[in-house]
Amino acid sequence: MKIKRYTMFLILLVLITNLLVGCGDKSANADIQAKKIIMGLDDTFAPMGFRDESGELVGFDIELAKEVAKKLDVEIEFQPIDWSMKETELNTGNIDLIWNGYSITEERKEKVAFSTPYLANSQIVVTLADSSIVKLADLEGLAVAVQAESSAVDAAYSKEGFVESLKDGKMIEFSTNNEAFNDLEAGRSDAIVVDEVLARYYMKQNGEEKYKVLEENLGDEEFGIGLRKEDTQLLEDINKALDELMKDGTYDEIYNKWFSDN
Amino acid sequence: MKVLKMLIPLTIEGLKITLGVFILTLAVSLPLSILVALMRRSKNKFLSKFIGIYIYIMRGTPLLLQLMFIYFGYHYIPHIGYALGRYQAIFIAFILNYTAYFAEIFRGGIGSIDIGQYEASKVLGISRSYTFSKIILPQVIKNVLPSIGNEVITLVKDTSLVYILGVSDILKAARAASNTYSTFTPFVFIGFVYLIIIAILTKLLDKIELKFNYYR
Repeated sequence: MKIKRYTMFLILLVLITNLLVGCGDKSANADIQAKKIIMGLDDTFAPMGFRDESGELVGFDIELAKEVAKKLDVEIEFQPIDWSMKETELNTGNIDLIWNGYSITEERKEKVAFSTPYLANSQIVVTLADSSIVKLADLEGLAVAVQAESSAVDAAYSKEGFVESLKDGKMIEFSTNNEAFNDLEAGRSDAIVVDEVLARYYMKQNGEEKYKVLEENLGDEEFGIGLRKEDTQLLEDINKALDELMKDGTYDEIYNKWFSDN
Repeated sequence: MKVLKMLIPLTIEGLKITLGVFILTLAVSLPLSILVALMRRSKNKFLSKFIGIYIYIMRGTPLLLQLMFIYFGYHYIPHIGYALGRYQAIFIAFILNYTAYFAEIFRGGIGSIDIGQYEASKVLGISRSYTFSKIILPQVIKNVLPSIGNEVITLVKDTSLVYILGVSDILKAARAASNTYSTFTPFVFIGFVYLIIIAILTKLLDKIELKFNYYR
């Protein structure tokens, strides 16, 4: 009967394409502890991990990671992921590290293990240069933009009554900080809450004189590397490597390259 | 400008993914959906119901969610030793999803063919499979082409959902350039790229419709 032949043709088609597609794939079951670790990052997060003009992955985190991998004598692979899926990618074994300006917070500590902090950051509030806003209290009833799923959101909510005092009692959440900045420049948002490291990069790109940073911030925080809780040996190794890099000057070298203008 | 210099190579890389997913999905789900449509129309109540449930689930949840479940979900199901790679998950999710949509379109198309066609075929002694493939199906295709065309165009844009698995398509290329240069322009550029793709596609679909216009 024609249908049977047709079905067989289809099954063949599906199998062939599956093979085609599966060939270029790295097996998610690759042995992670043996010589290769996969670092997950959002490759649109300047200056920690992003693409330069030739599409190459660069950034403070990228360079530090390469140095750590050298010290540990393992191969490191960079896997772009969607930031909102980072813990899922980690816990399902598709990546071994979350390393991308990953802020250490209490909630996150429940789901992942953190390395020793390797960079200080704070959640700052940025407005346009000509804004009349000077203190946090001035933001009452105004619109504030922020990147969704970021620690900026957590920082804002941890300040008693802050978010409730804003327009409509909430913040405007965008999927990237760029979009938040865009909203600010378009005049639709009056201020944004953002990682200091990213903000300084962005403002430098677009002309620092256009913006103003409030004196008060919404909290200091630190960046750490995220690992699965059960990877205790890897954690120990990485912490040791970080420690050595900070002692032998490599860390300072990388720091000055990316943040010298601060 | 600098932005374009970064954007264009990334877009070309991204096009491989965007067009790859598009073509692969169409190549498999179009033929598959005809089979599924027939199964849905089958006299076998069990088969018909079973396919009905499959279609319901595929149409009833966002493709984005399906991508996430298929790729990340295996981990939470005990005893499955095999993990799907990113591209395999994309391939499976898109095919399952679009086959369901196409199948419904074909089902409607097949159902709209006048029963006289089947009767005439029977009278002429034409076999069932020949009737279907050479008489019914061409008429069905002519009827459903606009609807199929619609879904095909939607597919081009749905390819941007691969971002959730960290895969870089053309929209991600725009995001990357936009982030590095802190500007919105890359998105405008990519908007035009989509428009160009769809323009070519629309022209192609029109040509195909003309070919099937055998009554004029």
